[in-house]
Amino acid sequence: MGTNVNSIVGKVFSIPESSVTDQSGPENIESWDSFRGLVLVDELENYFKIKFTISEITDIKTVADIKQYLRNHNVTLD
Amino acid sequence: MEKKISEYILDSKNTRISNSEKKLKIGILSSFTINGLDECLKSKSQELDIDYQSFVSGYNQYNQEILNKNSKLYKFNPDITFLIIDIKKILGDFFYFSYSVTFEKRKKIIEEKISEIKNLLLNFQKNSNKKLIISIVSMPMYSSNGILDNKSEFGFYEMINKLNSDLITFAKNKQFLFVYDFNQFIRKYGEKNIFDYRQFFIGDIQISFKYIPYFANELLSYIKPSLGINRKCIVLDLDNTLWGGIVGEDGFDGIELGQTPNGKAFVEFQKQLLALWEQGIILAVNSKNNFEDAIKIINEHPNMILRKKNFACIQINWNDKAENLKQIANEINIGLNSIVFLDDDKINQERIMQEFPEVLTINLPNDPSQYVSILNDLNDFNVLHRTNEDVKRGEMYTQQRERNELQKSVTNLDEFLKQLDIVVKIKKSNEFLIPRISQLTLKTNQFNLTTRRYQENEIKDLSNNSKFEVGCAQVLDKFGDNGITGVYIINKNEKSWIIDTFLLSCRIMGRGVEDAILSKILTNAKQNGVEEIRAEFIPTAKNEPAENFLENSGFKKENKFWIYKLNNDIKLPNHLKVEIE
Repeated sequence: MGTNVNSIVGKVFSIPESSVTDQSGPENIESWDSFRGLVLVDELENYFKIKFTISEITDIKTVADIKQYLRNHNVTLD
Repeated sequence: MEKKISEYILDSKNTRISNSEKKLKIGILSSFTINGLDECLKSKSQELDIDYQSFVSGYNQYNQEILNKNSKLYKFNPDITFLIIDIKKILGDFFYFSYSVTFEKRKKIIEEKISEIKNLLLNFQKNSNKKLIISIVSMPMYSSNGILDNKSEFGFYEMINKLNSDLITFAKNKQFLFVYDFNQFIRKYGEKNIFDYRQFFIGDIQISFKYIPYFANELLSYIKPSLGINRKCIVLDLDNTLWGGIVGEDGFDGIELGQTPNGKAFVEFQKQLLALWEQGIILAVNSKNNFEDAIKIINEHPNMILRKKNFACIQINWNDKAENLKQIANEINIGLNSIVFLDDDKINQERIMQEFPEVLTINLPNDPSQYVSILNDLNDFNVLHRTNEDVKRGEMYTQQRERNELQKSVTNLDEFLKQLDIVVKIKKSNEFLIPRISQLTLKTNQFNLTTRRYQENEIKDLSNNSKFEVGCAQVLDKFGDNGITGVYIINKNEKSWIIDTFLLSCRIMGRGVEDAILSKILTNAKQNGVEEIRAEFIPTAKNEPAENFLENSGFKKENKFWIYKLNNDIKLPNHLKVEIE
C-alpha cells in the first residue's frame, strides 16, 4: 500500500508518481504549499478512512512522516 | 457524483482558450479562508462553456475592498461578487459571551452590527453597479444557555436570527442585492460534515475541502441565470418515470401510483414537477407507448397529479426518442439547451446524451424513491427575476398547443393569422419592463439580429440615455397573452438611426410581429426627420431565422450595414393591430 501514498502525493501536487520518495516534502516539491498540503491530508483521510490528529497534520514534513502517521492509525503499508 | 477538490484544482490549471460569448467576472470576498472555491467555480464554469475570470480578496479583507472606492475589487469590476462572512468575525468575543450582558445590551449590539453590514452593502452599491450576493451567517449548533436559550429574552439564537432576517428584509427590494441562505447549505449536508475543527484551527477554514465543490454548486445557482443558461423545459418519460410499471403490460389498474411505497414516490415526484410548472417550467411527454393507453392514465387515473393541461407537448408513439425530443423542441420552439430530459431507461438516456449533448440528460437511477432528491438538487431552473412571463410560461405553452391545433385545422397561413386576432402593444422601456428586456437580450438566440447581451443595469443606462430608444412589444391574441416577447434598441443620430438590437422571442416567430415592430420604428424615424435606418445582421450559430429579415423588409446592403431609405413607403401587415403605449 506504500505506493498508494506516493501516487496520491503525485496526483495532488501534479508531479509524476515516480519522482515521489520518502524524502519528498514541502522543501523539495514546489507546489506543496500549506493549502495543497491540507488537500493532500483530505485525500489521504478519504482514501485510508482515518482521521489524523491536528498535530500530525501540522507536523508533516516528508512523505516518510505521512507513512509513519498512517501506521499510527493502524494502516498497513508494505 | 461530485468530484474531489483536488481534481478541480488540477482541472482549473488547464485554462481552455475560450471564445465563448458567455463571459463572466466573479469576485469572491470572504471573512475566512475559502481556498479552492475559485478553482471549483472556474472548472465548473468552463464545463458550461463560460469564459471565467475572477478576483479573490485577501483573507478577511472584505471591508477594505468594499469601502475603498479605488480597491482592486472595483478595478476588476466583477459582474457578480460573492460576500461570505462568518458570525464569529462579526461578533468577536461577544459570540462566546453574549449572556454576560443584559438582553437590552444584546439587542443594541446586534442592531449596531446590522447597521454596519447595511452600510457596507450600501457602499458597494455606490461604488459598483453590479450584483452582490451576501451569505447570511450560519446558525450556531450550540448555546451555552442550552435548552433554555429560547426561553431567554432575546437569546443567543434569536440574536443571530434577527441579524439574518433583517438582512433578508433589507435585500428584498434591492435589485443589486441577493441573500444566499448559507443555512440551507448546512441543512443539506450537515454542519458536522461541513465544519472541520482541525481545518478551522489550522487555517480558519470554515467549509471543509470535501464540501467546497458542493458549495461552488450553490453559487452556480446565481451564475447560471445571470448568463441566461438556465433550463426552461422538462421532457418526461412515462412508464417507471411518472408512474411505476408499464401501462401496456400492467394495464390501467396495474400501474403503481399512490397507495404502495413505490407508488407514493411517483406521486411525490409529480407534485414537485407540478410545483415547478407553477413557477413557469414547461413540461412535455416523450414516451414509447400506445397513445390510447397512456393518455387514458393522464386523463383519468385518480392519483395522477399532472394532467394534459400541464403538458405543452405530448409525444406518445413508437418513434425513436431522439426524434421525438427534436419534435418537442420544434413544436414548443425552444432550444435543446433549455431542455432537461428525465427517463429511467439507461439506453434512452444514452441515446439522448449522444444525439443531443446540449440537452441536460439526468442519470435517473432505477429507484423512484431517489427521483425527488435528484430533481431538488438541480440548480438549473433559477432565474434572478421571475417576470410575469416566466410564471405564466407553462400556461402560455398550453395556449400555444391550442394555436397549433387551430393552425392544423386551417389550411391557409394568412387565414390562420387573421383568425388569431393578434394585437401588438409597443411600449417604451420603464423600470418594470427593464428586467424582462434584459432577460430577452440574454436569452434570445434565434430571431436576434445582433445577439448583443445586456444586463439590467446596462438596459437601465440605455433607457436613460436620450441618444437611445429602448422599447419592447407585448403580443396578445385570442388564445391569451404571450407577454413581452420583442425588444428593440435604437441608437438615434440626427440623420440616421442605427438598430442596435432587434429580437423576437421564438415563441411568436412567424406571425408578422417583427414586421409590425419594424414598421413602427420606421414610421417613428420618418416623423422625426431621419433619412435612413441602418441595421446589422451579425450571424451566429443560431440566428439563421433572422437572416433574411432585413432584405425581405426592403433594406439594401452597403458594406457591413443594411440600409433603409425612409423616402420609401412603409408597409404594415394587415392581419394584426398595433397599439403604441
